[in-house]
Amino acid sequence: MLMFSYLMATGITTGAFYALVALGIVIVYKSTEVVNLAHGELFMVGGMLAYTCYVMFGIPYLPSLLLAVAGAFVVGIITERVAYRSVLKHGLASVLVATIGVSFILKGIARHIWGGKGDYLTFPPIVSPEPLQFGNIMIMSQQLVVLLAAIVVMVGLGIFFKRTRAGKWMQATASNPKAATLCGLRIDRIYMYTFGVGAAVAGAAGVLMSPLTLLYPDVGFVLFIKGMAAAVLGGLTSIPGAVLGGLLLGLAEQLAAGYLHSSIQDVVAFLIIMLALIFLPTGLLGPRGLRKI
Amino acid sequence: MKRLGSTICAAVAMTAAIATGSAQAADVDGVTATEIRVGTFGPLTGPVYMYGKLSMNGVEVFFNKLNEQGGIHGRKLVLVREDDLCKPEGAIAAVKKLVHQHKVFGIIGGACSNPTLAARPEIEKAGVPFHVFAAVADGIVDPPATNIYTTQLTASIESRAQIQWALDRGAKKLAIVAQHDAWGRARYEPMLKDFKARGLQVVADEEVTVDQNDGTAQALRLKAAGADAIMLLGYPKAAAVLIRDSIKIGYKPLWVGQTAIQDLPALQGLIGINGALGDFVSITTVPGHPDNPQYAEWRKRLKDTFPNDELSVFNLMGVAAAEVFAKVLDAAGKDLTREKFLAAYNTIDNFKSSIYPGPITCKGKHQCNQSPAFVKLENNNNVVFAGTVTLK
Amino acid sequence: MSLRALVSNRSFLVFLFGGLFVLPAFANQYTLFVGNLMMLYIILALGLNILVGFAGQLAFANAAIYGIGAYGTALLQVHLGWSFWFAAPVGAVLAMVIGTLLAFPALRLSGIFLALATLAFAQATQWVLLHWQPVTFGAGGFRVPPPDFGWIPIKQDYGIYFLSWGVTVVLLLFAWRIMRSRIGRAFVAVRDGEIAAQSLGIDLLTYKAMAFALSSFYAGAAGALYASLLGFISPETFDLFQMIIHKAMIVVGGLGSVIGSVLGASLLVYLMEVLREFKSTQEIVFGALLVGFMVFQPNGLVVFLKRWLPGWEEPVHLAGPEGKDSARSAGKDAAPGEQPAAERA
Repeated sequence: MLMFSYLMATGITTGAFYALVALGIVIVYKSTEVVNLAHGELFMVGGMLAYTCYVMFGIPYLPSLLLAVAGAFVVGIITERVAYRSVLKHGLASVLVATIGVSFILKGIARHIWGGKGDYLTFPPIVSPEPLQFGNIMIMSQQLVVLLAAIVVMVGLGIFFKRTRAGKWMQATASNPKAATLCGLRIDRIYMYTFGVGAAVAGAAGVLMSPLTLLYPDVGFVLFIKGMAAAVLGGLTSIPGAVLGGLLLGLAEQLAAGYLHSSIQDVVAFLIIMLALIFLPTGLLGPRGLRKI
Repeated sequence: MKRLGSTICAAVAMTAAIATGSAQAADVDGVTATEIRVGTFGPLTGPVYMYGKLSMNGVEVFFNKLNEQGGIHGRKLVLVREDDLCKPEGAIAAVKKLVHQHKVFGIIGGACSNPTLAARPEIEKAGVPFHVFAAVADGIVDPPATNIYTTQLTASIESRAQIQWALDRGAKKLAIVAQHDAWGRARYEPMLKDFKARGLQVVADEEVTVDQNDGTAQALRLKAAGADAIMLLGYPKAAAVLIRDSIKIGYKPLWVGQTAIQDLPALQGLIGINGALGDFVSITTVPGHPDNPQYAEWRKRLKDTFPNDELSVFNLMGVAAAEVFAKVLDAAGKDLTREKFLAAYNTIDNFKSSIYPGPITCKGKHQCNQSPAFVKLENNNNVVFAGTVTLK
Repeated sequence: MSLRALVSNRSFLVFLFGGLFVLPAFANQYTLFVGNLMMLYIILALGLNILVGFAGQLAFANAAIYGIGAYGTALLQVHLGWSFWFAAPVGAVLAMVIGTLLAFPALRLSGIFLALATLAFAQATQWVLLHWQPVTFGAGGFRVPPPDFGWIPIKQDYGIYFLSWGVTVVLLLFAWRIMRSRIGRAFVAVRDGEIAAQSLGIDLLTYKAMAFALSSFYAGAAGALYASLLGFISPETFDLFQMIIHKAMIVVGGLGSVIGSVLGASLLVYLMEVLREFKSTQEIVFGALLVGFMVFQPNGLVVFLKRWLPGWEEPVHLAGPEGKDSARSAGKDAAPGEQPAAERA
């Protein structure tokens, strides 16, 4: 029973990681219908910037956090303007390759600047690293912070897309760019800010999660793959879907690793996705029965 | 049209340049009156770049120091780097380029096990002297090749030493936690063989992945099996995550690590919980911590040459290997040929290097470093020598 | 010979393959190795372009199928003692069979969902290669015996090189023919509008299966050659990074274009070797080049060449995976190219 509680708890906390990464992916997709393959690197950039501010320059904790998120936001906007602006209209494959190019650039720069400092860098958590007690299980306090952050972002984004004008503009741009322009929306600005916001969420995720995932130039990649898996599982356009997908993935991984064998931890996520997509081709909470003619 | 024409001309010129390679005006490849060209290969990019790039930085810093003092028999050492991307085809391409295009005298390198193994036939065929500085797979020097030597502890030596250490400390139920990638398996398989040879049962055999963010499942399973000593065959991240989550669930066995986990204060920092490494030892090729005063000279030299870097264990691994390599070069004499260089390895007998904790002996064997030394962490900060084991 | 013929895509191919054929005469072993790799990547790019560029199926399993072909061939040689000449075709066919099974999910999924499902398959395949110890030897990899050239008086290295050359040329010509035939046009119809294609009597399952089968066969054949070239196989070669390189090749060269595959593959292999000189900053330069290509020629080099040089048109080339974009880009780029399809067929 104890083992089960632990695995459930870990499943939820790991799932929160994936959910937070997935949310950033969904934001960008909802507006541009494109998956930013450099998302994982934006996560890493947020973490590295926080490390630079806090550990290297000695700026206090909270300002470092905010600076890191702001930095990630800026990097997101730069990459949108430089790489995607002219490529967006030429088809999904070209955009994917362009984002891959950006991810290489960011990784290479990170390796150049921070790579020589040792294999894994640490960034301290918001609260003490000692675990907290809940009933008869212990949870790392930073994991709760991440879970909380995932929920906050999810609720925030839900409100943003449903209630605010800016959110509706973004959805309009995604569903029909031409019509949106006709309605007077500045779609290039909207794309730009969408990427920026997506990058900021990724950066925030990086800062919050790096005490647990550790910081190194390649940290973004595996998280991105799992995060994208979670986003697609949830339906790619659904914000609660991203969180649901993330949690399901986390739970599946931990339960399988705990009860079956630890060697399948890595592959369970992908098996689940293959199965889920066979039965629900647009993800769990994605749009049903749509076929574009 | 003109643009196309000039592009074609440029392309042909570049191809010709690559094809014919650079001119070499010496009798022995890589050796001129004033310099010796030494090649190196390993990952410069990609997730395990620190084993390649950082070790090469160490080698380069050592070579620079030698060159300042006049080089070896009046020849300066020049390091030529190639990236193998930690992939077999990358290593084969890198070795081919070093040997056939850069025409190096010898190679000091090899960081990833599989790629180095894949490149071994190529190295043997070319007859180029090859000194391994970081890769641990047994198959690189066993069965031995005349032109391949290593000063890195090999996987089987470390795995056997880990088991011996745990047994010496009275552990009864040993478990293994391993990464099952190429690096991990290079250690896992000799470890299983040693368990079998001793007639010992492995009470739990768990897998971790390099990028794992949570080790709770593994910790729970280890605890359920009642293991009192864990053979850790993982990189620092997997180890940190596993130890952290074991503490979380209240599980505190003896942890026995290996040379991939050499920077103990850094590991402590990764885990973040006070006293986490109380019951932890690891094997090291670099005793003490890079911050120790004995390495001050290397710290300064590294900072001068590579301002972005901090002295790390990987740099020191490169320095240590380069020291032995240079000693052999020196012993080979002024009239340098590959044969004399390879023969000069036999002069290295019980050599007390400035970094490796144990004696280096290449006389009669190609695995020159057979002394694993263990270290542990005191007071969250102090790396102290913990002991050695005798391997039968 | 007219100027037009001199700079056409045919003469480019002759120049390239002629050059590759005579390379052993004046190149060192390193250049030979790179040339051999280049040919393997041309095969991979050709296959992937059939699937992604022509048939519009955004699949991410190519590297895994490549691995299945390589492992299949090598394991038949090592476990069953088969000669390379039997093991290679069987390995390629094995890859083809497994790849064709991916056509089933392709019926229900499209776009990013298909990408993810095939990606999941690729990761699962790598997991199997890594963990199925008794058969695949796991992470440590294993040595592959070289092909026995028997009575042909040729040195080992050269033997593999010319074998690769021959296979590449044959597969290239085959792709060229197929894409100009009914099948190629059916692929493009499926890509540009599934419903319209169905209404024209094109059975989606048959043609999607054919596209997957073809691209998997190409990947499997490349895998068989790869195993002999290196003499060593291990699972990490067939990872996501490899898949990214394949994708980048066909996008840089030109989706939906046979000659584009050749261009993209040869250019990228060449670039990656040249970039070695940049040592540690390789990643940054490579990334910058990819972004640069996409910004300046998002539809591939072929489009650029089509615009300035006569003789580079290809039938059914280029609508892009999204029909709506083709309308936009056709106005800009494709003007001289699309008409001659009838005369060239």
